[in-house]
Amino acid sequence: MNILRPVCAFALLPVLLHVSHGVSPAQPENLYLTILTSFRAAQKPTGDPASGLFTSSDGGLTWEHLGWRETIRTFYAEAGSDGTLWNACGNGVLRSTDNGAHWKVTTGWEVTEVLKVKPSPSLPSLVFASTAYGVFRSTDRGESWELKRAGMRRPFSGDVCIDRTDARRVIAATEEGVYLSENSGESWRQTGLPGRGVRVVVQDPVDASRFWIGTEEDGVFCTTDGGRGWSRRTPAAFHAAVYAIALHPRRRNWISIGTYGDGVLLSTDAGGHWEERNGGLSDLHVHALIVLPSNPDVLLAGTLNRGLFRSTDAGVRWQSCFQDSSQVWGLSAR
Amino acid sequence: MKRPALVFALLLLPALCLSSDDSAFVARQRRLLEVLSREPLSLPAIAGRLAVDSDRAAAIAAFDSMGRDRNLSGPFHGYALMAVYLRFRSLFPDSIHRLVRDVFRFRGLYRGDTENHWVMYYTGMYLAAQTWPNEPGTAWFNGKSSEENFREAEGWLNHWITLTSTTGQGEFDSPTYMPVFLAPMCVLYDFAADSVMKTRARMMCDLVLADFAVEDLQGNYGGGHSRDYPADIINPLIAQTTRVAWLYFGQPGRMIWDDPQFQPRVRASWEIVFPALSGYRVPAMIAQMATDRSVPYVQRKRKRVRNIIRFGEELNPPVYTYTYMTSDFVLGSLQGGILQPFQQHTWDVTFVSKRPYNTIFTVHPSYSKRELGMFFPEELNVMVQGVDLAKGTYSSPDKWNSSSPYEQTFQYKNAIIVLYNIAPGAHYPHIDGFFPGNLDDRTVDSAGWIFCRSGETAVAFYPVRPYAWIREGENWRFRSPHLKTGVVVEVASVRGNGEYEEFMRRMRVRAVDTSGFSLNPGVTYTTLAGDVMKFRYDGPRILNGKVVDIAKTPLYDGPMMTGEPGIITLHYGGHTRTLDFREVRIIER
Repeated sequence: MNILRPVCAFALLPVLLHVSHGVSPAQPENLYLTILTSFRAAQKPTGDPASGLFTSSDGGLTWEHLGWRETIRTFYAEAGSDGTLWNACGNGVLRSTDNGAHWKVTTGWEVTEVLKVKPSPSLPSLVFASTAYGVFRSTDRGESWELKRAGMRRPFSGDVCIDRTDARRVIAATEEGVYLSENSGESWRQTGLPGRGVRVVVQDPVDASRFWIGTEEDGVFCTTDGGRGWSRRTPAAFHAAVYAIALHPRRRNWISIGTYGDGVLLSTDAGGHWEERNGGLSDLHVHALIVLPSNPDVLLAGTLNRGLFRSTDAGVRWQSCFQDSSQVWGLSAR
Repeated sequence: MKRPALVFALLLLPALCLSSDDSAFVARQRRLLEVLSREPLSLPAIAGRLAVDSDRAAAIAAFDSMGRDRNLSGPFHGYALMAVYLRFRSLFPDSIHRLVRDVFRFRGLYRGDTENHWVMYYTGMYLAAQTWPNEPGTAWFNGKSSEENFREAEGWLNHWITLTSTTGQGEFDSPTYMPVFLAPMCVLYDFAADSVMKTRARMMCDLVLADFAVEDLQGNYGGGHSRDYPADIINPLIAQTTRVAWLYFGQPGRMIWDDPQFQPRVRASWEIVFPALSGYRVPAMIAQMATDRSVPYVQRKRKRVRNIIRFGEELNPPVYTYTYMTSDFVLGSLQGGILQPFQQHTWDVTFVSKRPYNTIFTVHPSYSKRELGMFFPEELNVMVQGVDLAKGTYSSPDKWNSSSPYEQTFQYKNAIIVLYNIAPGAHYPHIDGFFPGNLDDRTVDSAGWIFCRSGETAVAFYPVRPYAWIREGENWRFRSPHLKTGVVVEVASVRGNGEYEEFMRRMRVRAVDTSGFSLNPGVTYTTLAGDVMKFRYDGPRILNGKVVDIAKTPLYDGPMMTGEPGIITLHYGGHTRTLDFREVRIIER
């Protein structure tokens, strides 16, 4: 099946509307927070559950639970450009088309341990899921899924990123390097970090040809040619795991990373220099990190032991703001 | 007025149709249910109370309460809820019918992340979708229609049954988790409307029980285990499978868990109630396979490593199990290496005893984030902490369960060579051995052997490298603090002091050739029977000059159980029972 066929003028319309990022800069975004584990006691019949999916529409000041109340190991959630909500869980890929009021598990028994789910910014029917068993693809909004790992040596994938300007270009973070597909996942080739664990991949909101990856123990790398070649952007001696990358929506070269043990680091020169941004951050194990597109001075950092932190000065000072005894796994904005 | 006997008889109607040989089973079944009916209320205990009609109102009220408890949403709950509901639904008021339906309508049931979870989850979903057919996705918590849920559950169950009967079981030979494979299969057998699925479930009940039977020694689950907990490893009769052995095979000869020395680690875990209530009956030959120890035998099996999702070339590499069974002891082993995360028990000798702690074994207490990363998708950096929180002992240097990449075994009948080649810097640079404190004898001989006796079992244990003894509450801990180390063990039955003295005398003069050990651990040992075992770490296993290719281990190979992919045959007393999973049929001859 030629999945590229739908990439027609009509399908590209959202790309033209969303100039450089999934969120129009002036509009307040919806935020999605996933908590994998809470160190609090089991949920009570009333009140918000301690884990799962949460959403905020006021820049992360307040949150409400969304979706299943029970623990199904919720790793990550993201909204598509068509408003569809996608949830990556132990139970599979969940989809909601009514803002989280109802959900459907779109995958079957073959798909489990879904770590990320990413809808194409330009083509909402195209969705990729990174799982412990490989990369799966749906071309029909999750009605059906196919394992797509031709060319990949090992299956485990922790993240995937679809080029917002060309849905054929997809980059996958795997346990053994970074892989590029230029035919929407039909085939893959390794283009960097052979044998090294890659944990996260994001597209630069300012320069669509740039993608950034965070690795298990080798720091941050960047490509400026759409994923064909990669160069190191952290010192060679830097070995903390990089779980999250957040880019300023308008300032080129401003990049923040969430690390295991070193907290949040900021570079304003595309990785030439880095500075710690950990004031008030009482847990330096950061697994999720976003810059609010509508107000880039606001950052949210999800930690592995002490929940969610919020900064209103680009990470200079942080304050605990939600679920202070939880393990935050994912953050996204739409 | 309550009429327990009548209700019991009605609920267990299949039992009344049995031959007189089954009367002992029925008596045990009833005894178990009576005991369970006095346990704190859980889904299995509710089933026990309803089965014997003990305080039915309280049991129904508890079932109602549990049906409303949103915390009961894990893989253990869905099938148990359906099992209780389907068996006793005639006793329930309309409100309970609505409640159970609503659980599957509104509650986000977690599928789990491992094989036993998936078997339980999909058994529950299969029966729920069968019970409430033709309903749209809006009527189900997961948005799938009855048809979609049924097909998905059927798909998984058929996949698992095929995989298990061809490639071997994952989470194999587990004294803790075997009952949670057996119980859903009994429930599926009882309530699946589809005759093919019903037959498959019955065949799986046979397979799971026969697989256990050939390694069962009076309630002790012999051999290596994929998943076991430290308390169960050092005191085998407290395992959940002891209840299975008692119910189906009548051994041990009493409800041993009433004895404080044999209290199960998790007393409230009563999945055995569902097999006890089931219409499934174990074939007599399987019970005979479990109890006839008149002739020693070797049972080999091929099993399957839990899904390796990272750092591996193969999803489910093979596991080779080797078990030597006698009427007095069972010596069993896995080949070594990481075959299951953190709960592996690679080898032991377990002996018949009225006392607890009737086992001897060694372990390398290994842990690493890489090991966990092979099997779990979370971040490597947090998993050790997470498993420690969940299971307690993962990073402990003193733990009794462990998979280690630095451990390899070579067993032949009643003798085993266990070698350790621990990498510098690995956790931890020592091995431990468990020796019960209540042995009849533990003698450290000047020839280098440690001789032990418990009842009619004698153990000769030869440490290749120096070691120390550490006295602990119920046991002696043998600790050998060397990266390259190992042991040679030979076990024998002895009748009386004279035979034990003779055993020690003959063992003292046996040479254990450890030349070159400090470079690469290796041993050549000649057993009492004259067989020469030669084994060097990472090298071939050589018996009497010929290489033993464990990769050729069949699915099952033993005098009472043989198998090739898809076709497994049980043998006893000149009769055979063939489980033909390819054609979904049972052939008896």
